[in-house]
Amino acid sequence: MVCLALFVSATILQAHEIGTTRVSAALHEGRSYDIEIVTDAPSLVEKLDAVAGSPMSSVPSSALSPTALRDRLVAGEDLFRQRFAVAFDGAATRPAILFSVTPAADEVSPILATIRLTGAIPQGARNFTWDYSWTFASYALSVKSADAADPTVEWLEGGQASTPFSLTTPAPRVTRAATAWRYATLGFTHIVPHGLDHMLFVIGIFLFSRKLRTVLWQVSAFTVAHSLTLGLSIYGLISVPPAVVEPLIAISIAYIAIENLVLTELKPWRIALVFAFGLLHGMGFAGALQELGLPRSQFLTALLTFNIGVEAGQLAVIGAAFLLVGWQCSHRVWYRHRVVVPASVLIGCTAVYWTVARLGFGL
Amino acid sequence: MLLQWRLSFVVASILLSVTPLAAHDMWIEPMTFSPEAGEIVGVRLRVGQDFLGDPIPRDPALINQFVVEDAEGRKPVVGRTGADPAGFVRAAMPGMLVIGYRSNPSAVEETAEKFNQYLKEEGLDAVAALRASRGQSGATREMFSRCAKSLVLSGSPGKAQGDRALGFTLELVAERNPYTMAAGQDLPVRLTYENRPLAGALVVAINRANPAQKLTARSGKDGRVRFRLPRGGMWMIKAVHMIEAPAGANAEWASYWASLTFELAS
Repeated sequence: MVCLALFVSATILQAHEIGTTRVSAALHEGRSYDIEIVTDAPSLVEKLDAVAGSPMSSVPSSALSPTALRDRLVAGEDLFRQRFAVAFDGAATRPAILFSVTPAADEVSPILATIRLTGAIPQGARNFTWDYSWTFASYALSVKSADAADPTVEWLEGGQASTPFSLTTPAPRVTRAATAWRYATLGFTHIVPHGLDHMLFVIGIFLFSRKLRTVLWQVSAFTVAHSLTLGLSIYGLISVPPAVVEPLIAISIAYIAIENLVLTELKPWRIALVFAFGLLHGMGFAGALQELGLPRSQFLTALLTFNIGVEAGQLAVIGAAFLLVGWQCSHRVWYRHRVVVPASVLIGCTAVYWTVARLGFGL
Repeated sequence: MLLQWRLSFVVASILLSVTPLAAHDMWIEPMTFSPEAGEIVGVRLRVGQDFLGDPIPRDPALINQFVVEDAEGRKPVVGRTGADPAGFVRAAMPGMLVIGYRSNPSAVEETAEKFNQYLKEEGLDAVAALRASRGQSGATREMFSRCAKSLVLSGSPGKAQGDRALGFTLELVAERNPYTMAAGQDLPVRLTYENRPLAGALVVAINRANPAQKLTARSGKDGRVRFRLPRGGMWMIKAVHMIEAPAGANAEWASYWASLTFELAS
């Protein structure tokens, strides 16, 4: 079945005359190699005989027994060595050779020889090349290194050297899309589920806003602010140590919670405060992003997509809160007493606790 | 090359002859040339040179025609995809079986050096001259097609039986039944291109037991050559014809490789 698949794929490439020879090379973690050549035994024996200068028999060698064929191959080992090459960094090595010939499955099936070449890979070898001149037809070379899941297959003509197969696995090239996706995911998970403080801050804003418009205004102000300080911090234009930023973030959450409890309606300064707090949170995000590290080649992509991820995380929190509480509830009389007050008390207590802890009082 | 030339001159010269050439012959090697009536014969396709070849398993993408013709008419040669032998024929009754394999074209790119060497080997002087007159000296792309035939005889040869034309683009037809011949006798062969005699082509006869000693002749105006076959055993008659590739073929040249295999009584 594998044979057939190879066969079909090759004919699509170009209808070459493909023989029955197959070569598979296994390269074991830079230590040793194991190459298996499977080929038609009688035709190989005939070629060896011809090269040795023996008169060609009028009887085809396919009439010989597997044992007789094997003996002829073993006798021709030195000649056989002259027309193949196992090379590392262009230098040929001398493998150990083991010939075996398996009897044909039936009268009309071919008798196949399996030739195993084994040896050590030289220290520090960088590439492997293969050359085999004992066939006139096209054949497939499959090379498998220890860490690769699938072998690399190359179609070769008899006498044609393979392209060098690298033994040092290069670091996979990361595409821009992959970086974007990775940093967006990191940004999102920095909020949900890892950033409980940011989640509580957003929930705090949500609780006190009865209109979708006010929530969106505040979230937008928060976004602009944290994007600004995130960018400035990452580019090194501002630098506030986490020992200062982290307690201030906790205080900002406590403040929002307290305001939710004390005030009964939204004051005009709230949006300015949210903006100021956004500046603080942005510096917090910058600290987290610096810990994760940014790829040099795709710096801006990573920065922007991390920010987008953070945004998506915040919107997800608002979305979840909206589904949980429901917009209708916010207009009910009991909404403030049963939802805003207890939730804000909880958020406030948590934030106060964080503030004290982050100030280093080791509670 | 990795060949170590520490061999005697004689061996070295034989080695040279086995060094892969620019282009290879393709022939049909039946598992027997003289089957019993009712016997099934494996038909192996081989690619190589000087009767040293590699089996080519059955590839439907390459097969244009794979047929056998006997007194009853023409039948397809059946076989399993990817298998060697590529096909099987049944010698249903005593008589001659003409087996034919016509391939679809394959593309090959060759360096100028290899291509020129190959033109010389196959006696394609007209093409070499044409290339020279046009100042073409670079690498080239060619589409090659196989037109291989083999004669298998079941039972004793009858007078009426012999080779016959299958209508291949390039075709060698034995004008005398080789199974009625003995070693040392003449075999007349006719070469046709698109069913018309092809004159001036290099035709080569090779014996399996002594492939280095080739018989060569140029076809006459009637496309005929005559070989005195000095010994028995398996023989291959071969010829190559090359034309300019038709427009849109994505190649400069198109070549046709005719071969005819049979066995001569010792």
